[in-house]
Amino acid sequence: MKVSDDQKHNIVTYSLGSCIGLVIYDPFAKVGGMLHYMLPDSSIDKEKAKKNPYMFADTSIPRLFKYAYSLGAKKQRIKIYVAGGAEILDQKGFFNIGKRNYMALKQMFFKNNVIIHKQNVGGNVNRTVRLEIATGDIFVKTSGSKEEKI
Amino acid sequence: MSAIQELIKEIKNLKPVPAVVNQILEVVDNPDSSMAQIAEIIQYDPAVTASVLRTCNSVYFGLKTPAESIKDAVNMLGIDQILEIILMKSGAKALSGKQEGYGLHEGAMWKYSVSSAIIAKQVAQKIKLKNKNTIFTAALLKDIGKTVLDRFVKDSFEKISAQVVDKNMSFREAEKKVIGLDHAELGGMIAKMWKFSPKMVNIIRNHHLTDISKVKDKEIAVVYLADCICMMIGIGVGSDGLAYRFNDQAMEVLGMEPDDISIIIAEFAENMQKVEELLNVV
Repeated sequence: MKVSDDQKHNIVTYSLGSCIGLVIYDPFAKVGGMLHYMLPDSSIDKEKAKKNPYMFADTSIPRLFKYAYSLGAKKQRIKIYVAGGAEILDQKGFFNIGKRNYMALKQMFFKNNVIIHKQNVGGNVNRTVRLEIATGDIFVKTSGSKEEKI
Repeated sequence: MSAIQELIKEIKNLKPVPAVVNQILEVVDNPDSSMAQIAEIIQYDPAVTASVLRTCNSVYFGLKTPAESIKDAVNMLGIDQILEIILMKSGAKALSGKQEGYGLHEGAMWKYSVSSAIIAKQVAQKIKLKNKNTIFTAALLKDIGKTVLDRFVKDSFEKISAQVVDKNMSFREAEKKVIGLDHAELGGMIAKMWKFSPKMVNIIRNHHLTDISKVKDKEIAVVYLADCICMMIGIGVGSDGLAYRFNDQAMEVLGMEPDDISIIIAEFAENMQKVEELLNVV
């Protein structure tokens, strides 16, 4: 996870696979952050979640927001972008970690009245995401194609 | 010349793996072989000995006194660690280049291979399979076919991609349809040419469960699952994306529940930093 208000910064997360890349940005405060979590639920291993909370949706998402608030971002101004959560062909039910990663985030956002501004999730493609702190511009590179501004 | 003839010609030009690797592979998972026997094989290959010692004495392993012989190294780090170093060193040359057809930059295929091998070993340990060194090696080398097929994938990428998008084929199925051979099949041919055991050839050839009846073979199912896990965590995923098939039956054969997979991912992720460091020293 990275959060910044340094206008020279670019935050990148590479090769998401079934992981989720969550980008938040407050255009007024020019504060942005990015999170790359791998698994939906920390209940499988509380010890690991303590040591590395950024691995799981439930333990990492609140931290991303709190850190951004500490740099001056405000909930009502924050724009949210979600990428990743891809799946292998025929990966169904609970084995579909990509979809479960996305659902974990959706549930948390629903409970907290948070709306996703834009997203590029699911499918069988791999994604790399970049955020420019100065402008709030977000770029996505999907496997086999060039980087695109969204 | 057809694509298949060209491919066969190319694999004949591949550099063979060092003879010591074949000798080691013959004894590693044989319950009757001893540590001394394995150390013996290695120490007669001076190039391998020197490079293994250099790695063992690197900062990564943090030995208090340097290992001066293979026997020292085996005593200090354990035979499994030494074997892994040798296997990784042998695989690094063949697998570290960039794969343009598959959209993998330099080093990406190598990181993928080592990660697959480590995850496969984690799964093998979890379900208490005996041949963990064979499984480690097979997972490490399973995508050797990609290094040769790469150029052909690059030339036919649009056609392959169209089969994946329009016909709902997996990337491997599309390779087979467009080029005439897929990377797993080709990998099996290479393994055979390198005189790997029939067991190893079988795992490499079937690591995508092309022949679905192979799913009952737990060693194949473990290597297959390690590949799926790598894709899920975005390791080694290039322009082929995650367009390979997931097989529930393999999970059943291995007795793996969704939470078991999550636990394997969490364990691997925790060691990721160490893996990255290991990639730099080998």
